[in-house]
Amino acid sequence: MKKPKDLKPSTLSLHAGQRPDSDFGARATPIYQSSSFVFPDTETAAGIFNVERAGHVYSRITNPTNAVLEERISALEGGIGAITTASGQAALVLAITTILEKGSHLIASKSLYGGSHNLLEYTLPRFGIDTTFVDLRKTNDIKKNLKKNTKLIFGETLGNPGLDVLNIPKVSKIAHDNNIPLLVDSTFTTPYLMQPLSLGADLIFHSATKFLSGHGVVIGGLLVDGGKFDWGSSAKFKTLTEPYEGFHDMNFVDEYGPAAYINRARKEGARDFGACMSPHTAFLVLQGIETLSLRMERHIQNTRSIVDFLDSHQSVKSVCYPELDNHPDHKLAKDILPKGCGAVFTFQLEGNKETGKKFIEQLNLFSHLANVGDAKSLVIHPASTTHHRMSNDALKKAGITESTIRLSVGIEDCDDLIEDLDEALTYSTRK
Amino acid sequence: MFYFPTIKLKKNSEPIVFIHGTGMDHSVWTLPVRYFSRKKRDVLSIDLPGHGKSSGKLISSISGFSDQVFQLLDNNSIKKCSIVGHSMGSLIALEMASSQPHRIKAMSLIGTAFPMQVNDQLLQFAKSDVQKAIDILTFMGYSNQARIGRNKNPGMWMTESTRRLMQRSNKGVIYNDLLACSNFKGGLEKAKKVTAKVQLILGSNDFLTPTRKAVDLIDSFKNPDVKEIVNSGHTLMVEDPNKVLDYLIEAL
Repeated sequence: MKKPKDLKPSTLSLHAGQRPDSDFGARATPIYQSSSFVFPDTETAAGIFNVERAGHVYSRITNPTNAVLEERISALEGGIGAITTASGQAALVLAITTILEKGSHLIASKSLYGGSHNLLEYTLPRFGIDTTFVDLRKTNDIKKNLKKNTKLIFGETLGNPGLDVLNIPKVSKIAHDNNIPLLVDSTFTTPYLMQPLSLGADLIFHSATKFLSGHGVVIGGLLVDGGKFDWGSSAKFKTLTEPYEGFHDMNFVDEYGPAAYINRARKEGARDFGACMSPHTAFLVLQGIETLSLRMERHIQNTRSIVDFLDSHQSVKSVCYPELDNHPDHKLAKDILPKGCGAVFTFQLEGNKETGKKFIEQLNLFSHLANVGDAKSLVIHPASTTHHRMSNDALKKAGITESTIRLSVGIEDCDDLIEDLDEALTYSTRK
Repeated sequence: MFYFPTIKLKKNSEPIVFIHGTGMDHSVWTLPVRYFSRKKRDVLSIDLPGHGKSSGKLISSISGFSDQVFQLLDNNSIKKCSIVGHSMGSLIALEMASSQPHRIKAMSLIGTAFPMQVNDQLLQFAKSDVQKAIDILTFMGYSNQARIGRNKNPGMWMTESTRRLMQRSNKGVIYNDLLACSNFKGGLEKAKKVTAKVQLILGSNDFLTPTRKAVDLIDSFKNPDVKEIVNSGHTLMVEDPNKVLDYLIEAL
């Protein structure tokens, strides 16, 4: 009997979801820069609208170029399907609103990207969706904060910026014991470093702007459905288990089984909220994913060298990276992130806010900007930028101080990066 | 027995009954069910006993499954129907059309062959290491091209969707179904008794029920309409849903 040989990740990065174009043989994925698609006849049009035929209608909902990217990320994550969105933030909104409504509650990690924190803390309550922020390391805190209306647990695979490693097996067990799915933001890890679905997560979203693209030229997001969560096992998820008037009374669990969630997300969220990705962006993200494994390998290699360098530098108070023995999640990281803990990390300078300012301004190769995961190295001061809306208390809980510097290590020659850091450190800490 | 959609059947209804394959459920027929429902045809897309939302004990033979489907029809006072079956479901359809030919108007067999002998090693895996069996069935259930993707249904990754559906099966279902396929006997003689209009939809790259293994079956039917979908594997409703629907519209 022929032994199944599923394609390996670096092969899927290049091929999944795409076959050479049948019209002209184009090897690259064509950019279908078209808002809409011609129906051959009225009966076929009715069929596609009624979801009895496969096909494309309008690029806000589906597009052939985006569909390649959706299949590719699904293949890499081991998911059943995905939706491309205008940004990672849009993917998070879509992930939440597909199953939560007014009166729902979710539990989220206290260490989140500032944008995610804003959405949960300030914006969603306005729509009747409340969040309790907890340290997801403390499983008792998760259990204590579960409510009758809790419908989601959400964390980042690597917390931002303290790199808390999410114990997916443990947290997903609590979630599943309570009929709740676990959503993770896997932007920092990418499928190269971790496949959250295989560890127990149910839904993943990415900011595709970051490592997946690598080139820093687009804004985009991806929502991936693992297809494992049994939405029908409780009465919690009415958007999936009860007839939806907005789509011919469709009952998503009955009609789509394991694919209920992703179908609701597309048929409602993509259709009505309209935060779609442009086909050109999808094409550019695909170009990035083609080299994901090569880039991530180099990102990790460079990060490890820079972490070593900073960790032994006299002007650095501490370095926060899970591969270091002193990181609280060091052991867990070894277990679930054996290929590396990403290329974004923070360190504390000896000195004060002024030292940090001088350090950043002195850097030459590291660009000072609000992004991570570019092929080029980046730097930022979280307290005054990405996390500036957070209260002092929330900052403290997230492990951010005035002298915290966040680096996103690129794929340049590492010697050049270390020299740049060394010069800036020397200058900024000179008495 | 669960069936979808849960509609009240019209008086003297002659519905189309959809029967899924090994370890599957009614959700494999979502697209054609939506089409025929829109066309005001009565449709019963069933979950066989022990599958999907149907409770009840697993049935270990194709004829046993066939009896259960007839029982469902009797309970709903259905005298006549058309049937569509995929893989194991196609054997159940064949059994139904041969045992009570007067009740079956038209029949479409998708991804079929006779005998549908299952490899001993696969059966063993289904018994002792079901995940391995699911992996093999998923791998062999798709053409080489489909394993790379480019789903006509946008954004869905075909192989993982199939794997996930089978993973939802209750304990023992996959083994039970594969064994039932293997033990099904007399298919060619049964085919000769069929009086319904017969259609076969086959995939040219089907590794589980290769077209060459359907030749004897085809020859045993009276005037079958054989449709081959070029480059499709065994999971034809996923690999080429629109062509499958077009052919079903012709047959039913």
